[in-house]
Amino acid sequence: MFILNTGRTITQGRHVEHKFHQGYAEVASTCFIHPFDLMDLDMEEGEHVEVASAWGSVVLKTESCEDLPRGTIFVPLGPFANHIIPPRTHSTGMPDFKNIPVELTFTERERPTQWDLMEQLGGKRYETL
Amino acid sequence: MKHYDVVCPFCGCLCDDLEITVENNRIIGVDNGCTLGNAKFMGKERLSSPIRRNGDGWETISYEEAVGYTVDMLLEADRPLLYGWSGTHGEAQCTGVHMCELVGGIIDSTTSVCHGPSILAIQEVGHPGCTLGRVKNRADVVIYWGCNPLEAHPRHMSRYTTYADGYFLDNAFRERKVIVVDVRKTETARVADEFVRIKPGGDYAVLSALRAIVRGKGDMVPASVAGVSRSQLERMVAMCKDAKFGAVFFGLGLTMTKGKYKNIRNAIELVDELSRHTKFTITPMRGHWNVYGSNEVFTWMTGYPYAIDFCRGIAFYNPGETSAIDILARKECDACLIVGSDPGAHFPRGCAEHLADIPVVVIDPVPTMTTAFANVQIPVAVSGIDAEGTAYRMDGVPIRVKKVIEPTLPSDSEVLGDIFARMKEATGYD
Repeated sequence: MFILNTGRTITQGRHVEHKFHQGYAEVASTCFIHPFDLMDLDMEEGEHVEVASAWGSVVLKTESCEDLPRGTIFVPLGPFANHIIPPRTHSTGMPDFKNIPVELTFTERERPTQWDLMEQLGGKRYETL
Repeated sequence: MKHYDVVCPFCGCLCDDLEITVENNRIIGVDNGCTLGNAKFMGKERLSSPIRRNGDGWETISYEEAVGYTVDMLLEADRPLLYGWSGTHGEAQCTGVHMCELVGGIIDSTTSVCHGPSILAIQEVGHPGCTLGRVKNRADVVIYWGCNPLEAHPRHMSRYTTYADGYFLDNAFRERKVIVVDVRKTETARVADEFVRIKPGGDYAVLSALRAIVRGKGDMVPASVAGVSRSQLERMVAMCKDAKFGAVFFGLGLTMTKGKYKNIRNAIELVDELSRHTKFTITPMRGHWNVYGSNEVFTWMTGYPYAIDFCRGIAFYNPGETSAIDILARKECDACLIVGSDPGAHFPRGCAEHLADIPVVVIDPVPTMTTAFANVQIPVAVSGIDAEGTAYRMDGVPIRVKKVIEPTLPSDSEVLGDIFARMKEATGYD
């Protein structure tokens, strides 16, 4: 089991006004993980991983990061992380965006795009008219 | 043409020293801005006219049609949610509150998913805060707890703390000590004099241990608290007690994790303890530009800072019940107006999916993830770029923002004012 943390990164922030671009999807679908944890999972950096919480799962691309403590992963805030964040707030109004137990499994599946995720929820992608 | 002392419309720092070069009513250069602010000023992907979802695609419509749709949607709804408001100026937020009262809806801002818990804590124990100018000129110890300003507020350290000159400090860079408390070694942690790495979810315990040490009860603290050694905690307390003026800044690392507002309450009470020895203050790192303004405006007008429900005919406030996340998770609202925010990207899936089942109008300059759920999106001028208005900095200082180019689209105030006028006309509301 891993602990998922989400939060701002500067590259995510730079794309936040341009969310329909591929650059945003690249940034927001990255799973930062300690290199030793990658080794334990028998994976190489850049391979895809399915991150599953009790609320759902999403495919992300791994990126090695020694700044994280082992046993934790970090995903920039955005639609990818929010696909597996629970909507409960413990009567505070604030969901648990951090400190979520998740399981990681290697996968060869492609990452969804941000619009794929919105369409899974019943939305409709916007393409420039 | 060059505009000087322009206020940035991105984060809660509201940096007011930007220089914007404009040619033929287009921004061609930004000086002094950070990478986040520059990206916003230089953005070119705005919608040029309202759009409406039409079966499997999208079509452009007139402002007249878009405003008409919004008026009908709000007046026909039994429990509309008016959400967002952080990306716009105070004048537009003001109109939003009036509209919400008219329709007996719920109005909430992005506070719900950033510093809502901080407000709950402040309501319990108060807020020993101060302006950023005071921090800049006086603070010789700065604590960043659960926040990463180098990535989220990139100029905070250069304008107000680590790298800023201080009037009452001879050599601010050398005299100021920076302590960073986080679960991961962030970019900010790399420049800290002391980095305190805690285990996820351990904030409350660490804050309690620090309070005990400040009170002289260090012998009660175990050898290690949430992964932090007692000796490091003692060192941190000694640095704080030696300070002439200490400033704590905290971020979503405290508000979003286990404990929520109780973490903030404990942090405020630590500041209270420290202020018995020296002077300490605490400030939330407000993220989305004018989110603080939404709390100010809502409080003047309703008595409450966010998550306000008018269904009883009077303002009612109960975060956890009347907050946007909970309303959407319970699938309670039957229409949603979203202004200057992106819940499609930033709300948990279990909340965003309800937006697909109800009529939604988005007022935002650019296509966002929430566009996917919109029946209609109305583009507007960007506050601080081609629209004027008032915004609040993270320390509660209101700042008038200018426009640097002439607008080709109406502002949030104009669109919302038009919607509200037509709602009043249709209902005879005075």
